[in-house]
Amino acid sequence: MFQPQPTPFYPFSSYGPPPVSSVPQLAQFHPAGPGDSVAPTMFADPIFTPTPVASDAGLSFHFHNTNNNTNPNNLPPRYKMSGQGVSDLEAQEELARNFQPDLQGPLVGEKKSSLAIAEEYAKADPIYVAKTTALPQKYSHYRPILGDGNCGWRAAGFSYFETLLRLGNQAQLEEEVARMISLNNFLTTVGGFEDWLFEDMVEETTSLLKDLAELMPTSPQAAADLLRQRFNDPNVSNAIVYHLRLLASSWLKGSVATYQGFIPDNLGVDGYRKNWLEPVDQEIDHLGMTLLIDVLLKPIGFSVEIVYLDRSEGTQVNSHIIQAQDSNGAPTNPGGPVIHLLYRPSHYDILYKDRPPIPLQAVAEMTRNPNIQVHRATNFTQHPSSIQSTPMGQFSQLDLNTLLSIPGFGLPSQPSHQGYASQYQSPIEQGYAASPISSISPISPGASSATTPSSTVLQPAFSAPPPPPASSSLTSPKLATPIATFPQSTTLPVHSHLPPPQRPTLTTHQLLAGDVPSPSSAGSYFRPSKYEWEAAADRAQEGPVQFLTSTFKNSHYNTAHYNNPNFQPEEWNPDGEEQITSRKRSS
Amino acid sequence: MASSQKRISKELAEVTTNPPEGIHVSLVDESNVHNWNIVMDGPEGSPYAGGKFKLLLVLPNDYPFKPPKINFKTRIWHPNVTFDEHGSMCIGILKPEAWKPSSKILSVLTATQQLLVEPVPDDAVETSAAEKFKNNRAQFNKEAQEYTKKYAK
Repeated sequence: MFQPQPTPFYPFSSYGPPPVSSVPQLAQFHPAGPGDSVAPTMFADPIFTPTPVASDAGLSFHFHNTNNNTNPNNLPPRYKMSGQGVSDLEAQEELARNFQPDLQGPLVGEKKSSLAIAEEYAKADPIYVAKTTALPQKYSHYRPILGDGNCGWRAAGFSYFETLLRLGNQAQLEEEVARMISLNNFLTTVGGFEDWLFEDMVEETTSLLKDLAELMPTSPQAAADLLRQRFNDPNVSNAIVYHLRLLASSWLKGSVATYQGFIPDNLGVDGYRKNWLEPVDQEIDHLGMTLLIDVLLKPIGFSVEIVYLDRSEGTQVNSHIIQAQDSNGAPTNPGGPVIHLLYRPSHYDILYKDRPPIPLQAVAEMTRNPNIQVHRATNFTQHPSSIQSTPMGQFSQLDLNTLLSIPGFGLPSQPSHQGYASQYQSPIEQGYAASPISSISPISPGASSATTPSSTVLQPAFSAPPPPPASSSLTSPKLATPIATFPQSTTLPVHSHLPPPQRPTLTTHQLLAGDVPSPSSAGSYFRPSKYEWEAAADRAQEGPVQFLTSTFKNSHYNTAHYNNPNFQPEEWNPDGEEQITSRKRSS
Repeated sequence: MASSQKRISKELAEVTTNPPEGIHVSLVDESNVHNWNIVMDGPEGSPYAGGKFKLLLVLPNDYPFKPPKINFKTRIWHPNVTFDEHGSMCIGILKPEAWKPSSKILSVLTATQQLLVEPVPDDAVETSAAEKFKNNRAQFNKEAQEYTKKYAK
């Protein structure tokens, strides 16, 4: 039927639409597509391993590649056509049917910085890039869950135990043991399951709860390790996951009226239980997640926030909180523990909002690590060594007076200035309100987690000394040197609160002033006294303040600069301009 | 003991203390509960009557979350069993996407027995046997009996 031709576009031009069995079809069977629903049961679950192929970027790449390359001789061997259209199609279907996702890594991975997600999507389409870039500012960490079809169940189950651990209440863990055992009766009477089926699975759940309760008072770390170890033992992990499936299935059976309207495809309650809840490796859908939350988490006051990372419009991920509510829709346990789950089409991972204080050393280490540090900044023309080898992390906790010593970095020459904390709240960055700092500095967004606003503000400001032509200045090794030597010549007290002003050493001062010919350094040598500063800090809440130094404005640390990885064009705002001018007049 | 072994031991006890008619179960190796020898009598009223069929049942390490594997060690002329040394059987309950942990080994065995009585030619793996079964039942029965006599003594 369809013979492979050396001329790339021949088949399409002469036969009209491409034959069913032509190459582009193959791409649709390619495993990379998370949203690909050719045969939901075959694709056990999309994988989001750190390999780039797993993302949507991988999918689009394959489409692109095969569409532009219809010459079969150029295709990888598995895409070659036999010349027999029908058997070709069969072969493709066979491929799709027998496709086993390449599942690698632990069932429940290590907690890591959520910057990794942004890296994973760095080459995806702009919506993903924008959303994943903004993600780490809200959720500092994430924990990948293996996409084996149980990820949603496992993510919620793991979070259940982990949150109990985090709360650190031994009595609550023991109560949970009792609750789980009492639910056995619910499984038999309502769910209609027999004891022999679930007793071993329930035992895994309860023994984990008991072991955690025992370990927790003496060593929370050992308890956390045990939890991860159990959840990575397939025997234990799958038993617990299946226990959760049975609970959700029974819960549906017991509250048919509540959920009936949400059952897809007219399956009916029994059909849904049989097709969606009870088969092993059948991924959780939204109803399943709701059921699980309702039976497992709501009764103990845990809320679940589901963060949707998809291609919907917007620059921020959408999220939805599921929590116990009273009849008026008000949460019954406001301020209770919240579990964050990251949802990507048919996959769940766990997100964390905690920002534990990162010790200075760790920050320095993190920023030295090129993977994290300049991954998003590879477009810059700077000499790689000048920035990668610079222990910028050590700057992250500079105290105020060091900043004040830099010409042009003192407060703008208005006595009524409103303080540091708000300096970055320019209109462009309002979108990043959660943590404006990390959006500015591509160097070490993670570092901002360690410090209080007052000291964090200084980090990007301090790393901004490059003179106006920012990128070219960074290529100059001459500049890199003073920055690198800076910490050695200054004392860098680590304070999270404002320290009393100190005179910086003169050497530092001259070093920078000499090497960085900033246009603003000549005129503005003004530095307010600590009394003025404190007064200004008190008024910090009064309103947004523009960052006024031209050094900053012209550097790529400014998000309005085209070299900034989070580039956002500056928009002219008539109101904003008026405010500024009026303030100037009033001062 | 891993929970899978607990479950298997329980099911083994159930099958050996109260065996279904025409099915005899023993362990291949007493120290390993994962491999079972099955001897199944050809059901009365089927062309397999009078034969004794050996099967090997292998329970994966992640049983009951993965289905057991079952193969005919005795050759059998049947639309749903490959007529070769593997004796691979196609049976719905054992398909990975249909398997549920609430299925028991006992129900797998009785389903196998039932398959001997009622082949499912539309889901065949041995297509020539299925063709004959559908189009020339007498010929099929005759051949199946002959093979039963030849192999399943």
